[in-house]
Amino acid sequence: MTDLPTATARRGPADPVKALMHRHRELCERAVDPLEIAAGLEAHGVTDRTAARFRHRDVFSLAEELYARVPRDTQTPSAVRELTRPSTGWARWALLPGVVSALAVTGVRLTSGGIRPTVGALGAVAFAVALTLTLRRGPLRAGRGARPLGRVCAGWLLAYAVGGDGLLGDALRGGPDGLWALDPAAATGLAFAVAPALWCAHLFSVQARGKLASSRGLAEFSGRSRPLLLATAVLFLGGLTVCLATAQLVYGSVQLASCVALGLLLWLARLLAAHGFSAAATKVLAAAAGAELLALASVFAGRLPGLALLGRPVDAVVAAWGPGAVPAVVCGAAALALLARAAAVLARASAHCDQ
Amino acid sequence: MRIGLLTDGGYPYTTGESRLWCDRLVRGLARHEFDIFALSRSREQEERGLVELPPQVRRVNTAPLWTAPDHRPVGRGRTARRGHGRRERREFAAHFGRLATALCAEETAGPHDADGFAEGLYGLAALAREHGALDVELRSETAVRILEAACRAPGANRAVRAARVPDHLAFAGLLERALRPLSLDWYGDDALGAADLSHATSGGSAALPGLLAKRFCGVPLLVTEYGVQLRAQYLASRQLSAPVRALQAGFQRRLAAEVYARAELVTPGNTHARRWQERCGADRAKLRTVYPGMSADRFHAVGEGAYGGEPNTLVWVGRIEPAKDLVALLHAFAEVRRAEPAARLRLVCVPTEGAGAAGYLAHCRSLAAQLFPDEAAGAHAVGENPVSFEELGGPEAPDLAGAYAAGSVVVLSSVVEGFPLSLVEAMFCGRATVSTDTGAVVEVIGGTGLVVPPRNPRALADACVSLLRDPERRARLGAAGRARALELFTVEQNIAAFRGIYLELMSHNPVHRESADRAQAPRPFAHPAEAHVPGRWAAPTAARIPAGAALRAPSWAAGRPLAVLLRDRLDPRDRPDPRDRADPSERAEPRERLDIAEEGAGA
Repeated sequence: MTDLPTATARRGPADPVKALMHRHRELCERAVDPLEIAAGLEAHGVTDRTAARFRHRDVFSLAEELYARVPRDTQTPSAVRELTRPSTGWARWALLPGVVSALAVTGVRLTSGGIRPTVGALGAVAFAVALTLTLRRGPLRAGRGARPLGRVCAGWLLAYAVGGDGLLGDALRGGPDGLWALDPAAATGLAFAVAPALWCAHLFSVQARGKLASSRGLAEFSGRSRPLLLATAVLFLGGLTVCLATAQLVYGSVQLASCVALGLLLWLARLLAAHGFSAAATKVLAAAAGAELLALASVFAGRLPGLALLGRPVDAVVAAWGPGAVPAVVCGAAALALLARAAAVLARASAHCDQ
Repeated sequence: MRIGLLTDGGYPYTTGESRLWCDRLVRGLARHEFDIFALSRSREQEERGLVELPPQVRRVNTAPLWTAPDHRPVGRGRTARRGHGRRERREFAAHFGRLATALCAEETAGPHDADGFAEGLYGLAALAREHGALDVELRSETAVRILEAACRAPGANRAVRAARVPDHLAFAGLLERALRPLSLDWYGDDALGAADLSHATSGGSAALPGLLAKRFCGVPLLVTEYGVQLRAQYLASRQLSAPVRALQAGFQRRLAAEVYARAELVTPGNTHARRWQERCGADRAKLRTVYPGMSADRFHAVGEGAYGGEPNTLVWVGRIEPAKDLVALLHAFAEVRRAEPAARLRLVCVPTEGAGAAGYLAHCRSLAAQLFPDEAAGAHAVGENPVSFEELGGPEAPDLAGAYAAGSVVVLSSVVEGFPLSLVEAMFCGRATVSTDTGAVVEVIGGTGLVVPPRNPRALADACVSLLRDPERRARLGAAGRARALELFTVEQNIAAFRGIYLELMSHNPVHRESADRAQAPRPFAHPAEAHVPGRWAAPTAARIPAGAALRAPSWAAGRPLAVLLRDRLDPRDRPDPRDRADPSERAEPRERLDIAEEGAGA
């Protein structure tokens, strides 16, 4: 290297490395090992010839001196990676399924005769589309590995909630003769409960992220997130009950217990699927749907000659507590199973890493 | 021979990083068969498709390093879908624990720590090979918990000890991606295991399949690095938090050390890469510098021509960016003008996108306008500035060779430089050069041009003036530079070097692998050398003609005379098919420059 002009030599301190340290202070403070400083220095054009000016053999040994001399910056918390804020575009869609369902119910009630089933079918299709659109974005978007079987089972459970009780009652009385009674309050109440479901899931995800950042270890996070999940579930139960109670006021009778159990079951299943645990959710939904199907089938099978025994248990349950007891027991048990699973699984930190 | 070419975000993709080099290599070594194993970096890259492949490429296996892990149907049998059993999970925990402990250890822990890393890595690979993909396990709570425990263990690195829950999660995600090659089904006898040699075109993730093929099937590994992967990782992970960076650096450094230790031969592209490799523990005996090759054909006319360029013109060619330090060049040119009032400077810019480049160009233009007023020949003529900014491909500089040919001295004023391509091109053109001492400049120029310190406009000006005043010295330096460049930096030397390396590695592994795993002692000469010859050479007429030949040549020229075929077969050097080779160099002139610049510099 040629001699530096005197003008440059005069203004620097006696220790040439000090100026370099000052210039690259941020790089040196953040570095986790000398090689990182070497890479950063080279990106700024420092070569072995430059290092020779600082009486070093190469950039690596210069970087080692810088690494040793600059105190590590351990005090200021390293810029925590800003987790992407969940977008809230879903919020304005949250009431869409409820509105569509209410319109469909109104349409069915206003029409009569041959056009009624057509209106009902159209309403059901519109509701399915609205629900899919709503759940496709937002905090309840299904995560990895979601299966169509789960959707089919959920659809069957919903259909049973709307028409299953009437069918069961008619079947036990020897029917059904023509169309049996449907439950408009269950349809509308559950559809409007999509809004609290989304809000509660959003709340849970935001709070869990906050706890993730502030927890000191994985055990601490688990300890703090489990109560959070239970509290959120209680909150959702409250919202769900309000929706269903309002629907009951408007439309009259509703099987409150079975609808609450079903709502909780569906919410938990969707929450688990959103965090990548759709396998468990699908299994439990399939079990619940199978149990309800079995209950209906056993009643019809009981009419066959010699198989009357099969219809007895359901008959006894309905006689004691009414037709709503069957879905209430089934969905309640399934929801409790999923709640236990969610409390174990969603309390883990790894469930919240990349939604 | 059958070569397994391993790339990472590279060759067969049209947007790959070092695709031109690999393309030339594959086309140049038409006598070998290539199986390409490519890892892709993004969905966009995969959607843009693959380049046209020559017939010596027998198969292309691709795997993404970017998707959400669940959508990939990799792994075999039921276990891949059902997840692992209890025993496999316990085994996974043991291997992953060993790996994590090694990653978190202090750098100076010594060979014990390297053993832990290798044991853990190969243990995981064996598990993935037997029982299916590991992605679910690597993202599970168990893995995160093991990482946390390793970070808090007594021997752990200080930076790592500060890790919190988000850091563990972030690193678990990064590690899952980095270890995805373990879960691929490339290591059987129908894939990489059947290759005679695996050639990784970069370190890091691309070399990982090579490591496993070496471990499981005994395939020798060759690693070529034009830009050091570890250094690129340091620069790329700057925005991560400190503990994650420390863990990431620990992983990449140990992976690099393991790759260098297991590779038969490592070929850095220049001394800079070589120094990094030595620093990361590569054995010097294994390192062999192979300079990147550039196609010299389009510069032949200028290089061999008698025209020495405008006698008073300096030329600078490159992308406009602050690292090129055009400000210093303009100041230096002001000094040159003081000594030589007739001097002119032509800045030929390779078109670039981006607001930063446009801003810097505007800044340089205004500085030039301030420093040099427009000049006219007489009182009635229209003046023009002695510094002209021209765009490559525009009317004043239609092609690269023409741009270099216009001046008598080529200047390079960068403060940061990797492998200086414009310098090599100037050497091909036989022009005298003045360059700053950055990156691999001294290594490239090797005494056939003038070199001055960076950020020193006066020295730059002095060197330019001395060359402008001495046409004889210019001619001498130009001729020497051209001779040096033709010797060292042509495509042909690059391909010849790799051809030699392939054969050398083959000769070091004379025992056919099929007999290597048997209990009896290997018999060195059991298989004659011809056993490696592909069968298609026996039927010259059909196989020697590329599949797309009919598209390019008229129908009466589809076949080649027997004499040519014979010469091809007897010629000890694998002649690259001239039709094939002309293709890539013509196709993308400016893009090639960007391509190799990234490769070389990484800066």
